[in-house]
Amino acid sequence: MTGDGARITVNGRTAPITEVPGDERLLDTVRWRLGLKGTKEGCRTGECGACTVLIDGQTALSCLTLTREIEGRAVTTIEGIPDAPFGRAVLDAFAEAGAFQCGYCTPGFVVALAGLLREEGRSAPLRQLLEELGANLCRCTGYAAIARAVELARARGP
Amino acid sequence: MIRSFRPDAGAKLAGTAGFGYDLDRPGMRFGALVLAARAHGRLDSVDLAPARALPGVVAIAADDLSTLLDGAHGDPERPPFASREVMYDGQPIAAVAAPTLAGARAAAAAVVATLAPLPVVADLESVFPEWPEAPIASSAPIAAHVHARRGDVDRALREAATVVRGTYRTSGVHQVALEPHACLAEVRDGLWHVTTSTQSPFGVREDVAGILGIPERSIVVDGTWVGGGFGGKGASLVEPYALLLARAAGAPVRLALTYREAFRLGRTTLPSVVRMETGVTDGAIVARRVRLLLDVGTSLPGRDFATGYAIGFLLGPYRTPAFEVEGYAVRTHKPPFGPHRAPYAPQAAFVVESHLNEVARAIGEDPAAFRARHVLAEGDRTALGQEVSAFGLSEVLRRATAVRDAWRRDAGPGRGVGLGLGFWATNTGAGGEARVLLSPTGLEIVQGEREIGSGSVAVGLVAAAERSTGLPRDAIRVTYRDTSAAPFDAGVFGSRTVGALGQAVDAACRAALAALGDRLGGAGELRLELEGDEVVAIRGTARRPVRSLLTPEERRDGGLAADGRHTGAPRTIDESLVVEGGFYPYQDFTGAAHVAEVDVDRETGAVRVVRYAAFHDVGVVVDRPTATAQIEGGIVMGLGAALTEESIWSDDGRLLNPGLLDYRIPTLGEVPPIDVTFVEGFAGAGPFGAKGLGEPPIIPVPATIAAAIRDATGVSLTELPFTPERVARALKRA
Repeated sequence: MTGDGARITVNGRTAPITEVPGDERLLDTVRWRLGLKGTKEGCRTGECGACTVLIDGQTALSCLTLTREIEGRAVTTIEGIPDAPFGRAVLDAFAEAGAFQCGYCTPGFVVALAGLLREEGRSAPLRQLLEELGANLCRCTGYAAIARAVELARARGP
Repeated sequence: MIRSFRPDAGAKLAGTAGFGYDLDRPGMRFGALVLAARAHGRLDSVDLAPARALPGVVAIAADDLSTLLDGAHGDPERPPFASREVMYDGQPIAAVAAPTLAGARAAAAAVVATLAPLPVVADLESVFPEWPEAPIASSAPIAAHVHARRGDVDRALREAATVVRGTYRTSGVHQVALEPHACLAEVRDGLWHVTTSTQSPFGVREDVAGILGIPERSIVVDGTWVGGGFGGKGASLVEPYALLLARAAGAPVRLALTYREAFRLGRTTLPSVVRMETGVTDGAIVARRVRLLLDVGTSLPGRDFATGYAIGFLLGPYRTPAFEVEGYAVRTHKPPFGPHRAPYAPQAAFVVESHLNEVARAIGEDPAAFRARHVLAEGDRTALGQEVSAFGLSEVLRRATAVRDAWRRDAGPGRGVGLGLGFWATNTGAGGEARVLLSPTGLEIVQGEREIGSGSVAVGLVAAAERSTGLPRDAIRVTYRDTSAAPFDAGVFGSRTVGALGQAVDAACRAALAALGDRLGGAGELRLELEGDEVVAIRGTARRPVRSLLTPEERRDGGLAADGRHTGAPRTIDESLVVEGGFYPYQDFTGAAHVAEVDVDRETGAVRVVRYAAFHDVGVVVDRPTATAQIEGGIVMGLGAALTEESIWSDDGRLLNPGLLDYRIPTLGEVPPIDVTFVEGFAGAGPFGAKGLGEPPIIPVPATIAAAIRDATGVSLTELPFTPERVARALKRA
């Protein structure tokens, strides 16, 4: 099962990863090989959104992505979000709105919203943004504060 | 610089907050559990050899315990592994550790268990088909029986002008913390160390000691950030296994459950059936009879209080002259019943509120008006004879009724507006000790408890210290210590943290101020202020930097240390009313009234919640944004329990929906706008009159939604949750 390396860029740096088995998930690569534990491991079946990352700027579930599938592409995790488009705006909005409680779903939400805003732009209707974020689950906040953060982040711009 | 009312914003938004799932050590092994794939069976053999043959694998089962524990024996009623008989689907029968997670999963799969089927009791009602008409046989699988009464209920019901009867069913619901249970264990220097995502480090220490039969002084429990608890992380679950594996492997072992495993291991609310009868004469309740069958799964010792608590909530916050309540905790082949945010209170409120709505309708009165004449207030006595302390239920009811009426006036066709009440009794539990350290530059609160998300520790305790001392929150921080260094506390659950620990923090702050006052002189109240980076003590005209008031020893040790302790108010029920079993007094009475507008699709039975308003009797608001967030979150969790969440077991006791696709929790697109109103002034036993707030918000939700559906359709639902299928069926029947 031992495979080749997979050259990917993570948060702007080339991550030299060797001997990546073909079935290794990006989630495990960033968490266990690169030690980037900000990407949260939840259901591992694509149902909770806690492991959301950006791949070439687009939101993706790292638990359903094989590392060798994304050879040559650029990954942004929560650790790289402050430097990503809309990253600061989303972080500030989540802080100000208190759009988290336990914090376990938070990196996934932050990454997903930054990706959505980059893709859809600030003019995207709020309702649409909220619906698209529906793939991320939160058990603490009841989403009310998260919805407030989405509004704030959209108003602030990149 | 991140700005937030939450001091944990920085770590949580940067992704640097370390949770149990993130634990890592050099040389660490990954653990995995082997779970029984049958709900009831005779365990003829557990063959670990195929697992042990894999590279770097250790595997352990019941037979290895004595060796691993140097001959010690844990509590025989809570063995970590099944040895002769498996009692529920998912019960651990072995555990393995390997150098990689994939290796551990492969090793777990290699263990061969021979499990001969035995008859399964999965369905509560199949045990007692004649209940409640026929008496329960003494041979029935009953874990606990509780029974209390006052007056001649038979006669009162016979003579009542109107008697209303109803039978209600509630479902099993799971906490679904986004982070499943996870810990890392090491055995070194003769000590059993475990770092874990827990609501109660001291509770885990006590549990591990009991389960493994080792003294508490040899166990050190440290906490991590907790990715959601909701009651599910109040006791130990993964920790004993990780410790045993660490001992066997001679290396640190991380053990983290998958979602599927967390669902199957349970420790949550299980189904119930309730029969209620209420007699009314001249508009007043004259008698009530309540009978409960509560599924407690493979009941664990010490957990039977669940039935007494459940029965207490089924009496509701209403004046009741004559009553009889009887509850049976029934053993089934399911995982043990465990606490799930406000254990059984939302289910009980659904039953009580729905039933009283029918009672009010039977006598032609508005349900809110009927309630207003019966709700308990300060100075009343509960059915069980406890004197009611300050209780704002009638006030929240009054305000919610006004909103209900306003919303009803403009609700469109297909819409309905309902009102529901809930009450909670903060359970302050054992412990509640705090230490503060006042340094020249700030105040430190030393804690073993971790912030589980609600903000009760990271915000609540800091807000308590702010009120006690006058220092701004920026100058106050919480320092987390393991159980060998932290002051004792029971845990972050039961809505007790701000009430119990907050009071301890307040007491510790007062003790620190008193010590300073002796040195400062002057008269009147002493307060602290921040001047630049310096903490200054002020009393009357006296004003000095704290730095100059500390002894050399205190300066060396980082500041003036002071301890505080929570002291609960004595509360009692009238024990002469108790026929059998345990009933419990409440520390505080906390009330809530909710209003919901729903839209019901008569074709599909789908219910959409359009808007929601919540009125909460909180004593005093300690921190407004955190309190608001707590209520919003609790309501949405309650909407899940009301509309979609239900654990489903097959006839042979297997959990059929151990995952998020089939056990649906609310998502962002489907939650209504929520309007939160705090009602202050009915002081609780907590610091500054605060009452607990973690659990009250979830309690009235299913009752409120049921009332709204009734208003929209004329149909009264008697079974939780109100799935489209159930609603559509009820509409067809009507």
